Amino acid sequence: MISALAIARASTRRVVRDRTAVFFLVVLPIVLMVIVGAVARGMTGFRVGVLDEDSSSPSAALVTALRTTPGLAVTSYASLDSLREAVARSDLDVGVVIPHGLGAAEHAARPADVELLAEQANSSQQAAAARVASVVGRVGGLVQSAQFATRFSGSLDGNLALATRLEPTTASVGVENEEVTADARTLPSGYEYSAPTELVLFVFLTALTGGATLVETRRLGVLERMSAAPVRSRTIVLGESLTYVAITLVQSVLLVAVGALAFGVSWGDRTGAAALVVVWCLVASGACMVAGTLFRTPEQAGAIGPVVGIVLAMLGGCMWPLSIVSPTMRAIGHVAPQAWAVDAWTTLLAGHGNVAAIAGDLAVLASYALVLFAVASARLRRSLLPSRA
Amino acid sequence: MLSCHGLTKRFGGRVTVDDVGFSVGAGEIYGLLGPNGAGKTTTMKMVCGLLAPDAGSITIAGRPAIGDVAVRALVGYVPQDVALYPDLTARENLEFLGRLYRLDRRTLAERVAEALELTDLTDRKDDRTDSYSGGMKRRLNIAAGLVNHPKLLVLDEPTVGVDPQSRHAILERVRSFARDGLAVVYTTHYMEEADRVCDRVGIIDRGRLVAEGTRRELVAQLGAHDSIALGASGDLDRLAAVCLSVRGVSEAAAADHAVQLVTEDGRGVLPSVLEAADRAGFAVTTVDVTEPDLEAVFLHLTGTALRE
Repeated sequence: MISALAIARASTRRVVRDRTAVFFLVVLPIVLMVIVGAVARGMTGFRVGVLDEDSSSPSAALVTALRTTPGLAVTSYASLDSLREAVARSDLDVGVVIPHGLGAAEHAARPADVELLAEQANSSQQAAAARVASVVGRVGGLVQSAQFATRFSGSLDGNLALATRLEPTTASVGVENEEVTADARTLPSGYEYSAPTELVLFVFLTALTGGATLVETRRLGVLERMSAAPVRSRTIVLGESLTYVAITLVQSVLLVAVGALAFGVSWGDRTGAAALVVVWCLVASGACMVAGTLFRTPEQAGAIGPVVGIVLAMLGGCMWPLSIVSPTMRAIGHVAPQAWAVDAWTTLLAGHGNVAAIAGDLAVLASYALVLFAVASARLRRSLLPSRA
Repeated sequence: MLSCHGLTKRFGGRVTVDDVGFSVGAGEIYGLLGPNGAGKTTTMKMVCGLLAPDAGSITIAGRPAIGDVAVRALVGYVPQDVALYPDLTARENLEFLGRLYRLDRRTLAERVAEALELTDLTDRKDDRTDSYSGGMKRRLNIAAGLVNHPKLLVLDEPTVGVDPQSRHAILERVRSFARDGLAVVYTTHYMEEADRVCDRVGIIDRGRLVAEGTRRELVAQLGAHDSIALGASGDLDRLAAVCLSVRGVSEAAAADHAVQLVTEDGRGVLPSVLEAADRAGFAVTTVDVTEPDLEAVFLHLTGTALRE
């Protein structure tokens, strides 16, 4: 074990000194996590323009409700023309026109309509309109409550303000949507999508390209020199493996920490997340060892490794959810260990599962790790140390 | 210290090492001399446990070495190519290799300092090895073979690609290791290195050990004589006859603007030959005395010259 630790220590020291490796290990994953997370987050925030032609307390209540609704970015417009133009240019997902006379109609208990403007080509317009309609409906409910109370005492404006104040503490009847098909299970959007998938992608990618270090150790003759010492082949394999288990673990902890602290990512059940991270690091390290025995030159490992890693990440749902691809592609995708890892993260984050809930995924991933290490061990012992005495 | 008997190694259908046997005592430098591809490195790898022989036995310090991992602690291996991490410093490389021999912290520090001192690298111990010159890398490569205090040091062509100054330094170090009691196996295809450094030499060709002994013994096996080439103008046949009359010259013949003489002692007979030529009125313009060496022995035994 002492010899294995010595090998791991020397190899780790070399990786840490390699600026390119540090860039791929630390900087690039975090940068991509930020970019992908920001893009994904942007997709959930609808841009809404509001033209308040009425300037009454009911219209102000509606504008306030729109502004305080999460996921809506509200901008006020002074004219109908400018609002139409912004919608037509797709600067806005939807425009809301609060017509003159809305307040008077509500005071008189007459029906009143709010007009929505949308550009048909805008892919977000339907979802944005639905979100705005839900807010309008909610404010309409408050107005109805105020109108009802005004029959007995007080003014509409006063009762509307009271209804608005009381709304958060009033019991409501909600509607809960539950997707019943497994295919529709996806990770939450924003950083909670990007962080786990980046972790799965980069830990594997780092390990695969790390195979170059093992190839170099072989080519430099250091592996042979180690073999001339009183060290068994399995100790050498263990030492080199420990290096990449340690490196991928450190990278994972870093990504988890940055995701949680800087971007508020919830990593779900702690035990489940920790188990998943450890098992995934073992899979990645196994892949690294196989790469180290397969490639002939460090350049080959550096060029082919990332391609293989990215293709597997695409297949495995790190670039887009597997729920949006065909069942056939989904089945093919599960050839890649990434798919099982993303499934497990989805269970932890979207399904609020625990370690028991991801036990099946963990077992599959552990099997991948076992097979990869077995292959790497056999290749190292047979092909790198030929006819060892 | 080292005893090999009947070592044989085949790769596919080709016999790379064929029934090779030799022994090396403590304080002795044994040279394995042969051209590239002769089987020197394969033999060394078998001695170091990196290759399993198909037949034969290896004993190190009285212990059978084949299959015994612990025996490797007695051997220092210096491979032909510099086998070190270029992005680690000299000290880090030696510490790493020393840990493989399970040296405790204090012993490790002492051994590393000693190995650096022996190879004159103490001043550069904290520099990355990729900043070293070729000669320094070679010296560090040797230091790495010493860090475990071996009883047997195996040096596989340690001076390949090294400048003359560094080569001289390395050869001097090797001699000093032997004086300290280390058994050294030294493979080379440089005849003059084997001539200069080794106490005994084994000549290996096409996987077979064709001769073994001290330089004197090998040359004696050859039964060769010295030769003198005299460059001169005029009637060279007459000059040859004059030279043949000198005591100690056994053969003389004119060829290509020179006279070739064969003698038992080239350096001893040369003054008499020059005096006889002068008396006969010949102006000798060049003189070349050739004594039989390992190159000649190799040529005689294998029918081919040693190649660089």
